[in-house]
Amino acid sequence: MTATAMNATHTGEFRAAGTDLSERRRSGVSRGPLIDIAAAPDMIGMHWAADGSLRLGAFTTIAAIAADPLIAAAYPGVAASAQGLATPQIRHLATLGGNLAQRSRCWYFRNPHIACLKKGGSDCPARSGNHLYHVAFDLGPCVAPHPSTMAAALLAYEAKVTTDRRSSLTIGDLLGDGSNGTADNTLQPGEMIKSVTLASPLQGERALYKRAISRTHAEWPLVEVCARAVIRDGTFHLIRLAAGGIAPVPLRLAAAEGVLQGKQASVSIIAEAAQQATSGAKPLPMTGYKVDLLKGIVRDVLERLMG
Amino acid sequence: MSTMTINGKPASLPDDPDALLVDVVRDTLDLTGTKLVCGAGVCGACTVLVDGEPAVSCLMPAHAAANRSVTTVEGIGAKDLHPVQKAFMAHDALQCGFCTPGFIVEAAAFHDRWRAAKGTGVPSREEIGAALSGHLCRCGAYDGIFRAVADACAGRFDGNDILPPRLEARDKVTGSAKYTVDIHHDGQLEGVILRSPFAHARISELDLAPARTMPGVNAAISLLGDDRVVRYVGEPIAAVAATDRKTALAAIAAIKLTSERLPSVIGLDDARSANAPVVFEKSARKKAGNVSEGGGSPASWKGNIRGPTAAFSKKPRKVRSWVADARAANNPLLVEATFRTGTQQHSCLEPHAAVARFDGDRLTVHVSTQAVFHLMELIAKRYKLDHDKVRVIADHVGGGFGSKAALGVETTTAIDLAREAKAPVRVAYDRHEELSVTGYRPAAEMKIALLPSEQGELKALSFTAHADTGAATNSTIAALARLIYPAEAKELADFDVISNLPAGAPFRGPGGPPMAFALEQAIDEAALRMNVDPIALRKRWDPDPNRQRLYDWALSLDVWRNRKPIAAQSGRYRRGVGVATGYWLYLWQPGSKVEVSVKRGRLVVSTATQDIGTGTRTVIANTIAREFGLEPHEIDVRIGDSKLPEGPGSGGSRVTASVIPPMLLAIGQLKTAIRQNARRQPVPGSNAPWRELLAASPDLSASGVRPEDSRRTAPGVESPLKQAGFLGWIFGWMMRRFSNLAIGAGVPSSVQIVEVEVDTWLGHVRVVNVHTGIAVGKIVAPALAHSQAAGAVIQGIGYALYEAREVDSRTGDVLSGSMEDYRIPGIADTPVIDVHFDQAGYDHVLGGGVGIGEVATVPTSPAVANAIHNATGVRLTELPIRPDRLVAALKGRAAA
Repeated sequence: MTATAMNATHTGEFRAAGTDLSERRRSGVSRGPLIDIAAAPDMIGMHWAADGSLRLGAFTTIAAIAADPLIAAAYPGVAASAQGLATPQIRHLATLGGNLAQRSRCWYFRNPHIACLKKGGSDCPARSGNHLYHVAFDLGPCVAPHPSTMAAALLAYEAKVTTDRRSSLTIGDLLGDGSNGTADNTLQPGEMIKSVTLASPLQGERALYKRAISRTHAEWPLVEVCARAVIRDGTFHLIRLAAGGIAPVPLRLAAAEGVLQGKQASVSIIAEAAQQATSGAKPLPMTGYKVDLLKGIVRDVLERLMG
Repeated sequence: MSTMTINGKPASLPDDPDALLVDVVRDTLDLTGTKLVCGAGVCGACTVLVDGEPAVSCLMPAHAAANRSVTTVEGIGAKDLHPVQKAFMAHDALQCGFCTPGFIVEAAAFHDRWRAAKGTGVPSREEIGAALSGHLCRCGAYDGIFRAVADACAGRFDGNDILPPRLEARDKVTGSAKYTVDIHHDGQLEGVILRSPFAHARISELDLAPARTMPGVNAAISLLGDDRVVRYVGEPIAAVAATDRKTALAAIAAIKLTSERLPSVIGLDDARSANAPVVFEKSARKKAGNVSEGGGSPASWKGNIRGPTAAFSKKPRKVRSWVADARAANNPLLVEATFRTGTQQHSCLEPHAAVARFDGDRLTVHVSTQAVFHLMELIAKRYKLDHDKVRVIADHVGGGFGSKAALGVETTTAIDLAREAKAPVRVAYDRHEELSVTGYRPAAEMKIALLPSEQGELKALSFTAHADTGAATNSTIAALARLIYPAEAKELADFDVISNLPAGAPFRGPGGPPMAFALEQAIDEAALRMNVDPIALRKRWDPDPNRQRLYDWALSLDVWRNRKPIAAQSGRYRRGVGVATGYWLYLWQPGSKVEVSVKRGRLVVSTATQDIGTGTRTVIANTIAREFGLEPHEIDVRIGDSKLPEGPGSGGSRVTASVIPPMLLAIGQLKTAIRQNARRQPVPGSNAPWRELLAASPDLSASGVRPEDSRRTAPGVESPLKQAGFLGWIFGWMMRRFSNLAIGAGVPSSVQIVEVEVDTWLGHVRVVNVHTGIAVGKIVAPALAHSQAAGAVIQGIGYALYEAREVDSRTGDVLSGSMEDYRIPGIADTPVIDVHFDQAGYDHVLGGGVGIGEVATVPTSPAVANAIHNATGVRLTELPIRPDRLVAALKGRAAA
């Protein structure tokens, strides 16, 4: 059982609400000391600044974000993402910080008997094995998609993350570029997420969130997209597309954004953007379908944003 | 030490940082209404209220409840039942009941919020589906749950108590029903099994001493067979019993193994290759499991392939030559296709579990089982004990679906450990064990050729099935195609493909759903090519009288009459309607006995059967209540205990037909005895003559044994085996001789009409509505039969769209061992379901009806596939029809 060497160098694993960690503790994937986070005052609650920006304490629950009418008005993509993830009982407990720092849902990683890169192993068993639910953008040695739905939403909003050691981190800074297969994020041992800051919303911006799953609710996304736009006089003045479920980190769909930015919204430009959304895709043998789903979702959210 | 308030009372919390709230609630406080199922926050069975908000107690650290108020299901209706509890009871929104406490807690919180905000407005299906999306029910009670939550929110259950249609409903909605995992004896130990990490290995040395000498460990035993070979990942190697689970887990981790790895082969394709390593050498073949309910017929083995079993063929050489001719002539009516189905896990929410306890030379075992009486016999035989020294008890069983019909490792291990430790021992599987080593419906590859004649009759059918049975044999898929759609000639061949995977097991209509998935799509394709209505073609080719009536019913449905031509739509969302047929055998268990007594004026019925959520208690109570003009709740039904008179196992849809006839005989005798013993006859014209007679009756008892009825057939009603001639007779004899099952006359039948909506962009299928027509004769407990029929459709939708065990094809590890990766339907996936019971056809059976469980799920997956074809023009030949397969099929390329 080489799998359990992972936290040997850590002082201990942080625990917020435990909705991710408890399952790994029960299975034995996580062992060693636990450090329960005693939430400092700056990690709790929502703070609106005079300039209209919002600082969300890392201890804010997903349910609180999902239910807040001010967030729904200012950052509808964040609210919709929070409403769409996990289940009501988990959303009541789970925290924003924990959602960003959660570990992979890969079925090899979660099996205490199987070694993998994230558990000190030398290779990724999913790459050569069964990777039905894995990445379609092959950006690094580990092929598990990043599980954080909130990260994709915050990427679309270009939110900034503050830890107890670093500040003004982008989601990219926090989660990396996918090239490090041994970690789910760039947090150093003992480093803790404190808060997330969202800039004040732009005039007239809209946003949508959509995930593709096999059932109706309560399933990890095969592909998910948070789309944010300012459309004035039928023209895309701003467009941000962030996708999850397809890569080791949430991805900005820059090529698709490029197609739309400054252009008149139309069925044909949306079709072109949906096509461009998949540029850079490098699906694995079993994940080609995610490319099709990504196209479908981008088309779905853009048509609804336009409509 | 910190404390919480639970159901209004203070309770202390443990210091252990790894202690979870569910463990404190269940194990320390013995509030066993809260259930532990998935351990991953997926199923919601552990839901409690924390400061009024629903929370998953299986993921919540116990210390996080410090200084907070926790309410469990026991606290929800402590004084008076909550309106939601009454609504669940009234709408029969439950079956086995294991998920029910979690649903009740969440639905009560939703109800209270809703009422506070919206008064008595009625929530929509979408709102209820979203609110309860964190809960899963394997029986598929969702149809009733929708109605219950909507009606409770509408204020319809604010008033007085109600009498539920299901006898034990109150115990299930309040959390007081005790399942095997809830049993706790003084001094009880926890047993845990060490399982093989290898797909194939010989365990040369097994050192249990490091485990045995650990503090808190009372027993450590080997579970290896005589050849010391393990043939799949997860095969038991050893077991320990310790004071708690944590200690037991540490102990199995300390056991030392030396092993010699053997070459292994995984799955249907690799195991068929010429140079595949052989899983069972000739001497070890008896170790293979059985995936059918009956005993198997002999077949030859070649490497890992066992078969063909082709006894049900009829003029097979004719089939081959006719099909070859048709192929050569490019006959457009010849339908040829290959279908594949996935591996379906039973996913019982109550895991396989047993609690064994010796009192001197007497052994009592609580088991989550489908067969208390048969299990007692098997245990007595294995341990060389007299029948009266062994007692098997199962008051409530949290789902079985075929996987809990045999003497399982959980039971023998609990017994072995209890004997070794000289203390009661519980073995309860965790979710990964439950979703990997407790059996499954094997995946299959089915090749079919169907040839209509020029006159439009069914001329020939060729059906070859290879089943992915793992370390088991005896799949019967193709054989079942013999007993429907008579043809001039049929070539039917079943093969088991054995590999280093856990053993398959019987699962609700073993062989039926995969057979129907292939055959019913081939029939649909034939109708298309012949330009005949698919139901009309079935009417022409399928003379069974029960199904003839169901076809007429289906033809009359608006949804069928208004369906659009194939692939007539071009937008993103496309709707389609499909039909499929299914059947099962009318099985009953010879020797089944029911005792009916009057004790102190009260009627008591006793038989050693069990209720796994199917409603057996209620079927018994309703039958006797009707005979005596009483209410079902006045009847004392005693089941779930092997000490009672021999009763049937809950498998093969046999219980109703095994229990009602002997009960009716016993009732007849008892009535005579009561009248003879009566000092005073009832007042002439009395409304309740039997109530009067019973009140004055001395204690009396009568019993009946299940009579034969297979030969007593009505015109046009015959055993389905008649179609198979002499061979059918032999098969019937073998079932009786080796499986104690009789096959009666008349064929339980189902015809389903399914409407789907296909999202062609995201590969998503939504089943919009289902009409399920079922002919099993008289329905004794209509509300419960409705629940079971709707649940069978929901399980069939899971099989059609979501469910598949996934493995690593190199190592043999089961990857889908959690409920987030093994996907069963949720409430929001539930269509509107119309249940139609055709109650004729079984007048030759005492009581007039037979069982419903299996037949009701057989046609769902092909009906869904036929509906998708109707919507899109694309035929989905592989289950489950997930987004990856659907988008690939729509693009006209093969999925990976």
